[in-house]
Amino acid sequence: MFFRREKFDREMDEEMRLHLELRERERSANGLPAEQAHTSARRNFGNALALREASHDSWGWAWIEHFAQDLKFAFRMLRKNPGFTTVAVLTLALGIGANTAIFSIVDAIFLRPLPFADAARIYLVDRTGNRLGGSSISEAIFVAWQREAGGIFDHLGLVQFVGSVKLTEDGEAQIISAAGASDEFFPALGVQPELGRNFSPQDGKPNAAHVAILSDSFWRSQFGANPNILGRRLTLQGLPFTIIGVLPREFVWPLMPSPPQVWLAVQVPLISKNPSNGGQLAVGLLKPGVSPAQAEAALTPALGDLRQEFPQMFSPHEKAHLDKLHEVITRGAGPVPLLLFGAVGLVLLIACANVANLMLARSAARQREMAVRAAIGASRRRIMSQLLTESVILAVFGGAVGLFVCYTVFDAILAFVPAEIPHIGAYNIDGIVLLFSFLLSFLTGIVFGFAPAMDASKVDLNSSFKEARAQNVPSAGRIRNVLASGEVAISLILLIGAALTIQSLARLMWAPAGFDASNVLTFHVALSGERYGTAQKRSAFFKQAIERLAASPGIEVAGVTDTLPALRTGSDMLFSLENEFNAQGGLEAHDADIRVVSSDYFRVLQVPLVRGRMFEESDNASNVPVVVINQAMAKAFWDRQDPIGHRIWIGKSMGPSSAEPAPRQIVGIVSDMRQDSLADLPNPAMYVPYAQTKYTDSEYFVLRTERAPLLAVPQVQDALRPIDPETPLTQISSMQDVVYASVKDWRFHATLLGVFGGLALLISAVGVYGVISYSVTQRTHEIGVRMALGAQRHSILRLVIRQGLTLASIGIAVGVAAALGLTRLIVGLLYGVSAADPLTFVGVAMLLLVVAFAACYIPARRAMRVDPMIALRHE
Amino acid sequence: MHRDEIPPGTLYLLILKTLARRGELHGYEIAKTIQQNSEDVLQVEEGSLYPALQRMLVKGWVKAYWGTTAENRRARYYRLTALGRKQLQIEQSQFERVVGAITRVIETA
Repeated sequence: MFFRREKFDREMDEEMRLHLELRERERSANGLPAEQAHTSARRNFGNALALREASHDSWGWAWIEHFAQDLKFAFRMLRKNPGFTTVAVLTLALGIGANTAIFSIVDAIFLRPLPFADAARIYLVDRTGNRLGGSSISEAIFVAWQREAGGIFDHLGLVQFVGSVKLTEDGEAQIISAAGASDEFFPALGVQPELGRNFSPQDGKPNAAHVAILSDSFWRSQFGANPNILGRRLTLQGLPFTIIGVLPREFVWPLMPSPPQVWLAVQVPLISKNPSNGGQLAVGLLKPGVSPAQAEAALTPALGDLRQEFPQMFSPHEKAHLDKLHEVITRGAGPVPLLLFGAVGLVLLIACANVANLMLARSAARQREMAVRAAIGASRRRIMSQLLTESVILAVFGGAVGLFVCYTVFDAILAFVPAEIPHIGAYNIDGIVLLFSFLLSFLTGIVFGFAPAMDASKVDLNSSFKEARAQNVPSAGRIRNVLASGEVAISLILLIGAALTIQSLARLMWAPAGFDASNVLTFHVALSGERYGTAQKRSAFFKQAIERLAASPGIEVAGVTDTLPALRTGSDMLFSLENEFNAQGGLEAHDADIRVVSSDYFRVLQVPLVRGRMFEESDNASNVPVVVINQAMAKAFWDRQDPIGHRIWIGKSMGPSSAEPAPRQIVGIVSDMRQDSLADLPNPAMYVPYAQTKYTDSEYFVLRTERAPLLAVPQVQDALRPIDPETPLTQISSMQDVVYASVKDWRFHATLLGVFGGLALLISAVGVYGVISYSVTQRTHEIGVRMALGAQRHSILRLVIRQGLTLASIGIAVGVAAALGLTRLIVGLLYGVSAADPLTFVGVAMLLLVVAFAACYIPARRAMRVDPMIALRHE
Repeated sequence: MHRDEIPPGTLYLLILKTLARRGELHGYEIAKTIQQNSEDVLQVEEGSLYPALQRMLVKGWVKAYWGTTAENRRARYYRLTALGRKQLQIEQSQFERVVGAITRVIETA
């Protein structure tokens, strides 16, 4: 059609020329003078060019041709203004690139569909109204539910994170990550092993042969994707396992701290330590047509039955509860996706406002060009579509540059994403992300191009040609002011968010944790196998290890604990005071944190003893059971009395399997420490010596070192090798790094908002500068007149700066109002600072005023130096 | 002499009718014929004739071919198609219905 266009135009011209000539001849035949006949024929005919265009448009080819024309023209315009193009493209690249990066993360967190066939029917089954809080279930509950599952679920499976296990291959030990699943877990997800078979009900029986299913990545990395892997032996924790299957490559189970490399058959029922809390998840594939509410109604009575058996463990309010798997995953990310999208969307808005402002300023300069276009027959729609094409091209370029930047810094961005956020599949820049980026660029182009296009296409032919200097259209000036104020407002919102989260992080890091993490080395050991089959054997290991470590050069004190502060993996236990009975005549139950430690644990972390004594050598299995408590516990349960010498039962109310055989005597009180997370105030806590409990198969060593903690690692290995060369030391880290890692979420929010806030500040400073600078240029004449009439230079300076600060103040006022509403959404991410913290609001507002002042100062200086003579002569 | 502009929407009808009566005409002849037949009362907005003719070509109501005038000038001639003839009937009855309605309104007023 492009080839035919020329012919079409030629023919239309010929046809119309004939018409005009015939009409002209008729007019002169009627007696009009030749020249008048010519003009009157033309006037009667109308705009031949516009009519030709309209004729051509009837064929419906127009849009393609217009588009090609607009495209060609847009490229020409952008090439001709390299300065404008560069600034606009870079601004947009920042906005679109940031949005693309964030989209790819949020896409992996929850936009992507779950890779399971019947994802809509997959539910997590847990419970509400639990006495101890939390909603995880135990094997006992699972077994009870399994009996009811027939009419409700197609499959009901159990899954559990096991954590680090020791794999021994050819005498070499390595630590891998393991998970447990019952036979119906994979079927509930509709997943079939790629190789071999799934767990069978027999595999879950007690005393069944141990079997394992490998993850695809582990099969590839460990066994070179050996197709004859089935039936091979695997030694885990010293026990022989047989490999029965390999999972498909695309399989993911997002609700785990780290992707498991091996899956083991959960033996249901295991010897249940605790019928109430187990940390397992039940996953069910609902039968088609069964509603979650029906399932809940059917499963709740089973909890009542368990309550008959273990009255202390189950509260009367417990109910079964179903949650769609996808929603659980989404919730797991908390407000993070919203925060990410919100912040990055605001940055893009500012970028749009800025580019719109640039274009508005330019459209004033292009007024004559537009007038010429209109005069030779371009309709307003055509002019608008041409201007919009220009802005879309700009945005697409910006998007391409942004995508490139995003791609190069993607790994750096990912380093900030907390690993605990469950996500479906990997974070990557894939086709969906590319599509998003392109569509966003397109939309962005329309958004920031619309106001300038509207404005520029509103051409008043008369004034445009008559005026020697293109006068600024007042409406465009108003739009520019609104945009600049809007930029300031949005920057303020982002900066307040940044200031609040950064303060939270700082307060958290400086919070009185109650322990000293500096110069402390930590590592983990898991004691398993025949060698450590009894509590006595384990206790002997710890005693020997602590002695040898403390005697090593560079190590001052050595201790053990079952969990480190700030790891959030500590457990709690029910305990009862010896003489406190409830209405039924049973012992009243209370809840407190429990830790299995050595007495030097407190010395390593420098937690002072307040009263009584620490553990001693004699506090072993053959002597009186003892316990040390913290001040919070002393205050909560003994208030004014002295707890020392009192006795408590630990686990007594939790049934025979958890109850300790004898009460423990309180021998000491230590000061409080934030031992679960830095953000939580200390709970009541009990510390029991490792020599007086059986729960010692997994302990952390803590060592106070003379120099940098990690320098002591060789001494640690030298000290422990003679006792046990086989058990690997894992999670070797300084205590400071453990604490640092525990605030990763806070760091993530603070970094994110800090970066986006900074970007916003930068872009909007440029925006304010642009508006003021342009207005000074526009007002050169006015300023010249003022000076000629005797205005002082500094009053001109004030005039310009006042204009800029007025814009900024309006923006700040609007921003403060909006921020007051929006920061409420991030209350959950704050620590130790209120979402409406007045100091933060005032501080950020001041910062913006200072930046706005600086942005106006440069053009104001220029205004001050206007030479009245030159300004007036210019007219 | 006062000339009325043709009512909007009736340009197709006038072109169709003119071509139906006169056979083959080029643009200027169509404009001229409409003017003469209306005894100089109706004046075609001359330029708008051409976009209208193109639209009618697209719709298949007319056909165009290049011929020569009596003075041996190249000119594009237009001729009704069968579809055009059908369209003429539709436009005409529509027009009469509207005019009839308007007349009744005016007379009863």
